[in-house]
Formats: sequence, C-alpha cells, structure tokens
Amino acid sequence: MNANGLDLRIEGLTVIYGGVTALDAVSITVPSGGFVTVLGANGAGKTTLVRSITGLLYLHKGRVRRGSIVLGGESILGKKSPDIVSAGVAQVPEGRKLFPNLTVKENLLCGAASRSDISGIDESLEQNLELFPQLRPLLSQTAGLLSGGEQQMVAVGRALMSQPSLLICDELSLGLAPKIVHRLFELLTEINESRGTSILVIEQNASLALQHAADAYVLELGRVLIEGTADELRGNPMVQELYLGGGGEAHTSYAAIERPGHSRPLEHGQRPPAAES
Amino acid sequence: MLLAFGNFTADPSVNLQLLIGGLALGAIYAVVALGFVLVYKSTDVLNLAHGEFLMLGAYFALTFLISENLNFFLGVFVLLLVMLAFGLLVHYGIMRRMVGQGFFAIVLITLGIATIIRALLLIFYGPTERARLDLLPQGSFEIGGATVRYVDIIIFGVVAACVLLFFVFFKYTRLGLHMRAVADDIEAAAAMGIDPDKVYAMTWAAAMVMAGVGGLLFGHVTGAIDRSIEAIGLRAFPAAVVGGLTSLGGSIVGGLVVGVIEQFANGHLGTKWREPVAFSVMFVVLLVRPTGLWGRKDLERV
Repeated sequence: MNANGLDLRIEGLTVIYGGVTALDAVSITVPSGGFVTVLGANGAGKTTLVRSITGLLYLHKGRVRRGSIVLGGESILGKKSPDIVSAGVAQVPEGRKLFPNLTVKENLLCGAASRSDISGIDESLEQNLELFPQLRPLLSQTAGLLSGGEQQMVAVGRALMSQPSLLICDELSLGLAPKIVHRLFELLTEINESRGTSILVIEQNASLALQHAADAYVLELGRVLIEGTADELRGNPMVQELYLGGGGEAHTSYAAIERPGHSRPLEHGQRPPAAES
Repeated sequence: MLLAFGNFTADPSVNLQLLIGGLALGAIYAVVALGFVLVYKSTDVLNLAHGEFLMLGAYFALTFLISENLNFFLGVFVLLLVMLAFGLLVHYGIMRRMVGQGFFAIVLITLGIATIIRALLLIFYGPTERARLDLLPQGSFEIGGATVRYVDIIIFGVVAACVLLFFVFFKYTRLGLHMRAVADDIEAAAAMGIDPDKVYAMTWAAAMVMAGVGGLLFGHVTGAIDRSIEAIGLRAFPAAVVGGLTSLGGSIVGGLVVGVIEQFANGHLGTKWREPVAFSVMFVVLLVRPTGLWGRKDLERV
C-alpha cells in the first residue's frame, strides 16, 4: 500500500546562518529502503541537517550555500516544506513538537495535511492505532497533557499519516525512558522492513541507533567525521570511547582529540553556531 | 465618591433596558474582538488597523446597499466578498513580506495600513458624514417596562450565528484544523506540510469578513457614518484583552461583559464614564490575570 522507500542523496551541503557555517560540505546517502543514523553531540549540526532536507531553514534565517539534496532522483533543495512533504518526506521533529492544544486525533490528522484522499486518511489513522494501541483511548485528549512517551508515539504516528517514502526522526530518544525508546526503535525497524520506508535517524543515543541502523555517520562541528556501516562504527575505538561509553578519559568533543589523517582539524574550543535549539 | 456623580436607580425596568442595550453593544464588540483575536492568535500580529477594517465594512455597506441599492442579501454577499478580497490583498500585498520581521515593526505596519484606509476613505467618500444604515427593521417593542429595538435583537442574533459558524469551521473543517495547528506551532505545522502562507492569507480574509459583518451591524447603531467610527476598534480592545488575547471564546465573553458594563456606566454615571470604566475593567483584569480571563500562557516556548 505504501510507496516504496525513496533514496536520499545529500552532496557537499554547506549551510550558513548569517555569516556562521553550520554544515560544511556534508555528504550523506540514505539508500532506498535503507536505515541510516547520523550521530553527533549537541551543536554538531544534526538539526540543521533535518531543516535543510525538510525546507524549514528559512524559519531560522538559514541558507544553503552549496551542495545538493536529491530525493528519488529529484532535487528537493529550495522547495517549500509542503512540497517536500508531498514528495514523500515526513519528520518526527526534535522535542516532538506536537500541537499542544489540539487533541491526539487532530494531531494525527494534521500529519495528513499533504493528502487529498479522504478515505485513505481514515485508513492510515486506523493503521496508526494498530501500531500504537495505547493511543486509541486517548484520541480526544489534549496532546499537551500526555506523558512524554505517549507524545512521542503521537509524533511518530503523525509523521506516518503522510505515508512517507522517507521518515526522518530527530532525537527520538531525548528525555524518554529507555524501555519506551527501545520499543520505538523496534517499531521503526518494523516499518522499515514491512513497508520499505527509508529511515533516517538523528541520534545522541549511539548504542541504540547503531543496533538498528545499517549505515551510520558521525557529525562533528558541522562535518562528517566518520562514516561506514553500523558494524564498522561499533568497532571503531573513537566511537566506542565517545558514544558507546567506553573506558578512558572523558572527552567532550571530537575536536579535543588528535585526529591523524583528518584533513582540516578544527581548533580546540571552536564551536559551531548557536543556531540550533 | 462615585455616587456623587451618578443617579443610581433600583428601577428594574431601567436596568433591564441597560442590560439589553449592553448586550447588543457587547455583541458588536465581540465581533470586533473576534477578528482582532483571530489575527493575533494565528499570525502573532497585533493588528491596530482592525477598527479601520470595520469602518471599511461600514462604508462598503453604504456603497453596495444604499448607493447601488442592491437587493439586501445580494448586497451583503457582495460586501463580504469584497472584504474577503481586501483581506487577501492585505496578506499577499503587505503582511507576507513582513514575516520574520520584529513584532513592533509589524505593529507599525498595521498602523500604516490604518492610515492608508482612512486616507482612501476620505479620497473616495469625501469628508461629509453619512446617515446611519436603516436596512434592518427599525421599530421596537416593550418588555417588562423596557424598550427593545428590533435592531438590537437582530444584531445579537447575527453575532450569535457568526460565532457558531466560526466554531463549527474551526472544529470540523480541515482548513480550520490547519489554522489551529499553525496557531499552536508554525514550524511543526510547516513540517507536516501545512502551508503557513495560505493559512495566514485565510486568517486575514476571515478577519476582514468579520469586520464586514461588524461594520454592517455597527453602521445601524452608530450616530452617523464618518471617519471617526474606527474608534470602535480601540473601544473593543478591552473586550479582547479581558477575554485574553489568544482565546476566541474569551473574546466573545469579554465583548459582552465590557458592553454591559459600559451601558451600566453610561446609564448610572453618565456618558463620560463609559470609556474610563471599560478601560478600568481592563486594567483590573490585567493586574489580577495578565493573560486575561481565558488567555493561555506561552508554556511551549521553553
């Protein structure tokens, strides 16, 4: 029933806020039907990446200076957000961003804003309630009053209402109990496998993301630092030390570590712009 | 002390008279406040031109219903259609370019729009005042010793119908849902594929149509139609604030409350006390509840 997943190809993407560079020549690929994660600490440029793909940079006075974003062979760079949603991209925003004064059902229906097939929308709503049975008794509740876990389910359900070819989840795990986060990741895997939806997960919780994703990127100060399969990254000592809770000294940032072979080492203490919230 | 200025009376028929007059006046305030709150809530713009919008509605009513002498219902339809077009013009011509600008820059733009409307009305309609509209039934009837004008009853009924229509629209239509979503969180709405630009345009159009209804009604009860009737915008301001600037339901109640209080101040204390009393109510409400009676705090902006 769902469209097959589309592939996303980002090449040499450079994004600036005012004069400050937030992403610097970033290239990331999500294959059709793939499950990819982008890891990174706060301020690495993860949210800027999501905004660039979904056409929301303009709300933060950000601008793409160079590079391309291509979804299923078609450029979506510079398109307006409603057109990008219509093209098949849906997102679960960082911090969930539900409509707090709307009911759960109304929140879900807003996710179908890009669709015009009324009967299909009802069907998707029913599908969502099968995916999240906990939400059924809460349909007429005001979304702002739900627990964090319930809100995140609504946020995922809302994104699925547009029947996306590519689902982007920004910091799904933030502020949620580990049990709920595990369940949500299992659901993502299920959606990825059963519907063929391409999935891009932006995460700080590296161990969990690397368990579920096939490919992974590490973003640091606006650049792609490491890329490879999830297995490769799990075996990478730097990733282990910084993101998987390995031993050794605590480092707050990759920038603090010697990186032999990295072409443009950043100075210690250099921070990306504060434009991410 | 206040008592020394007034001529308080316990006569129930006088108080009934004031109550009925107050509700009719309050209904007009409610319709003005509703348009004002609609724009504020969904686009974050404090629209100081709303009184001028209403004045535009009253003058257009003169043109279509008196000068052109159209059939009443056709005339009202044309009036509201023209108001809708003006609403779209305000968005696509002006406000759209201001998205992302500072709050006060936009407030000043609305003051500019107000000035332009006043100037255009002077140019096209001239400085002479016009007689008030008399298209609605003029007579009155007696109840409990109070004289009730048919016009007041009709005003109350029309406003009630508009309000009902409004709530049905917001609760049960897709566009209404999308408008509420944008009001809640514009970025999340955009991320879901809702086009904030279209929603804003519809908001301005709806506010203009409400102002058209308000102008048509107020044109029947004002002393005369001239360029001073835009003051209704300022006088409805306490109604919007008392209800809470973000609550549509609150603006209705606020309008009625302020209308009734004004009439009682008018009847018992004298005309010059009307506005001081109305604005005092606003001050007291703001001191006790800064968000108004039904306004919401911006909890989500953490």
